[in-house]
Amino acid sequence: MTGEEPDAGGDPPSVAIADPLLSPPTSPLDLPFDVPSLLALSRRGQWRAVLDAVAVARRSHGLLPHHHLVCLAVSALALSKLRRFSDAAAEIDALDAPLDSPRFRFESYPSSYPGRSGSMVPFALRFLHADLPQRLGTRSVTVDRLYALFDLVRSKILEETTTASADLWRRREVFVIASLCCNHFVHREFEAALALVRLLLERDPSDPLLLSRLGYVQLQIGDLTGAKASFARLENLHPSGERTVELENLVGRNKALEFIVVKDYAAAVREYEECIERDPADVVALNNKALCLMYSRDLSDSIKVLEGALERVPTAALNETLVVNLCSMYELAYVNHGDVKKTLSNWIAQVAPDDFDPSCTRI
Amino acid sequence: MSGQLQGGSPSNHSLAFRVMRLCRPSFQAEEAVLRLLDPLDLLAAEDILVDPSLPPDDLLRISDPSTPDAVANSDFTFRDRFQIRNPVDAMALSGLLIVPQSFGNIYLGETFSSYISVNNSSKFEARDVIIKVICSGLLPLPKCFKHGYQQIFQRGSLDEHVPKGVVMYPVISLWDSYCCFLKKCKAEIQTERQRILLLDTSKSPVESIRSGGRYDFIVEHDVKELGPHTLVCTALYNDGDSERKYLPQFFKFIVNNPLSVRTKVRTVKDNTYLEACIENHTKSNLYMDQVEFEPSQQWTATRLETSEYSAEANSETRGLLKPPVLIRAGGGIYNYLYVIKSTIEEFGQSKVDGSSILGKFQITWRMNLGEPGRLQTQQIYGTPITQKDIELQMLDIPPIIILERPFQVHLSITNQTDRTLGPFEVFTSPGISNDEKFVMVNGIQKLVLPPLEASNSNIFDMNLIATGLGVQKISGITIFDVREKKLYDPLPDVEIFVDTTTTT
Repeated sequence: MTGEEPDAGGDPPSVAIADPLLSPPTSPLDLPFDVPSLLALSRRGQWRAVLDAVAVARRSHGLLPHHHLVCLAVSALALSKLRRFSDAAAEIDALDAPLDSPRFRFESYPSSYPGRSGSMVPFALRFLHADLPQRLGTRSVTVDRLYALFDLVRSKILEETTTASADLWRRREVFVIASLCCNHFVHREFEAALALVRLLLERDPSDPLLLSRLGYVQLQIGDLTGAKASFARLENLHPSGERTVELENLVGRNKALEFIVVKDYAAAVREYEECIERDPADVVALNNKALCLMYSRDLSDSIKVLEGALERVPTAALNETLVVNLCSMYELAYVNHGDVKKTLSNWIAQVAPDDFDPSCTRI
Repeated sequence: MSGQLQGGSPSNHSLAFRVMRLCRPSFQAEEAVLRLLDPLDLLAAEDILVDPSLPPDDLLRISDPSTPDAVANSDFTFRDRFQIRNPVDAMALSGLLIVPQSFGNIYLGETFSSYISVNNSSKFEARDVIIKVICSGLLPLPKCFKHGYQQIFQRGSLDEHVPKGVVMYPVISLWDSYCCFLKKCKAEIQTERQRILLLDTSKSPVESIRSGGRYDFIVEHDVKELGPHTLVCTALYNDGDSERKYLPQFFKFIVNNPLSVRTKVRTVKDNTYLEACIENHTKSNLYMDQVEFEPSQQWTATRLETSEYSAEANSETRGLLKPPVLIRAGGGIYNYLYVIKSTIEEFGQSKVDGSSILGKFQITWRMNLGEPGRLQTQQIYGTPITQKDIELQMLDIPPIIILERPFQVHLSITNQTDRTLGPFEVFTSPGISNDEKFVMVNGIQKLVLPPLEASNSNIFDMNLIATGLGVQKISGITIFDVREKKLYDPLPDVEIFVDTTTTT
């Protein structure tokens, strides 16, 4: 089709009526939906509503190529959150061209985006494209795509001309390395996970979150000396007088883990209680404190801690891991645990966000 | 229907045992549910900041997690399930621990730890409760019914129809009822393994377990036997009708072998080396916390290890990231090498022979959160090497050997005993194979050497000639003690290169 620009979305461009959404030339965040509303829905976990909003947006007139891609990214994310992985994958596959195709670059549409160049693909779309295969049973494809994404990000960092842009790609690099590390960890490939943590530490040797997580990987392996050194390093780099509440709690929780390792559950509980006093919504402290109580033979109190957390700070505490732990405790405590789990499950159905995984109650 | 099996007949008992294995918890990586993202990465083109005309501040504000929501009622927010705060959070390791989700595997050398809860799910109080927990290698069984036992035991296996959950389910009820009956009749019961009492409240019975109440305890047992084990939980109590009731429940588990250790002892020149290969048969990666070779009294052992771990460019991270010795699940291996030296200075070299005990290995491994396991190997013996009274060594070979030109080699013979030996004959023996030999003695085939005194050496020459080109072997040089009529093992093969005559 000579004289026509290629279309990213597959729909023929319709005649533009006076549409408030369409104002040439577009600034990049003018999207066919209200951004603050969409973000609010996402932050409230209302993913079905997000899907609806995207569907409406897709039906509007005068959509530009980059609009289609953003809608696709949001739709794929919402479908993933709702655990409709094959639908999400199908939508991305319908693009019918790889993400690096010229179809998805601004310079291919000079009349729509005068003077602009670069890729219009939202980075999240690349990530989702990499993440989905493992949800559908082909983990090796995910790993390959994530490492390819790692390569892409690294070459972008070298290319970028502005500092802001290079910084953005560096953040993305950390994100991709961390995602790979997580993937290896989940599949018990600890040597690979450690190598990636090493890579991250080279970039930021004093990051307290990173040092803590190194400790967690070491603890999961059983390398107690290594973990102790990692936690100690964190404390030395961020001495006690200069810590935020968040950091103080991080240090406290790490100390508690060291007590758990030597089975001194009472001392671990004390550390967690201090954390909870500083931040009553510290879910990790609440969850782990309950575990310590259970390991101290106090099943009743462990259940109370978790039930209490769900009651007092539901949005923070409503977490699949916490619910799995609570249900395990119910199974141990009650011969007829079906009823109490059903009550919990009903409450969750009323309060939980759309992306909450209901299978964690194991009913 | 949860398909719960109970010991005894369920309707008749107020009490029931709930048993859960309590190995250490694990860290949960929450990536399956959370796919945290930066909103900017979702809503904007990835090259958004390429265009310098755009106001980056406006855009970056979207990424800021502390921006309040435009919509009211923002208390009810699950922001942290959507929006990433720090890119490192993609590791999804918040430090949340999760209790063991299945019984898993249990291995020799580990500690079996279990939470046991005696529940009263009836409407009546249970009084004077005597609880016993015994861990035994096999179920007790009457001799005549061994075959029947096997069938019932297998039918009641944990693997069948057990819903997903962490609590152990007891072996099917028929058998334990039968055992109670046998006990009452004082029938002869054969126990094949030792029974270890883990808990016994006979001396101070639990006064009461109220309706809806529980009595909990945690038992620990170092697993020292392989194969099927049974946790026998019994409660003797007065029920609501003041009837004395006996509740036995049986929980089965199997103990497997976690490791195998293969050793090799080699002597190279004057040193003895012990090589150990540890193979991991478990389904988890094993962190080798300590692998120590404890030599027996007359030996010392020094571990030889390469420093694969090269100096880190960044000295700050060096100490943190020494790679741990982690043996992979399901067949991974790791090798250890030691030099063994004698602590007693005998004259000549210390010899390791087949009857000497070198020592044994103490192995400690760890799994999640430091869950330990400990094993000790059996005694390791040196490989049998015949004590050599006479040591024959090739000292010297000419650097250039030409086809069909005689050449001389220098050898030494050492008497390693405390008495005079000899005289000797030296010759090349045909050897085991019938391969044609391309290196042979030139001239007199049998060389005679005079007797040699204790601890003395003698150097002598042999005249050889090569009849084939290229790489050849000098093989089969043998010593024969004429007086004692003793033939020694031949000198090991020595390779030489046979060249053609150099033409000028």
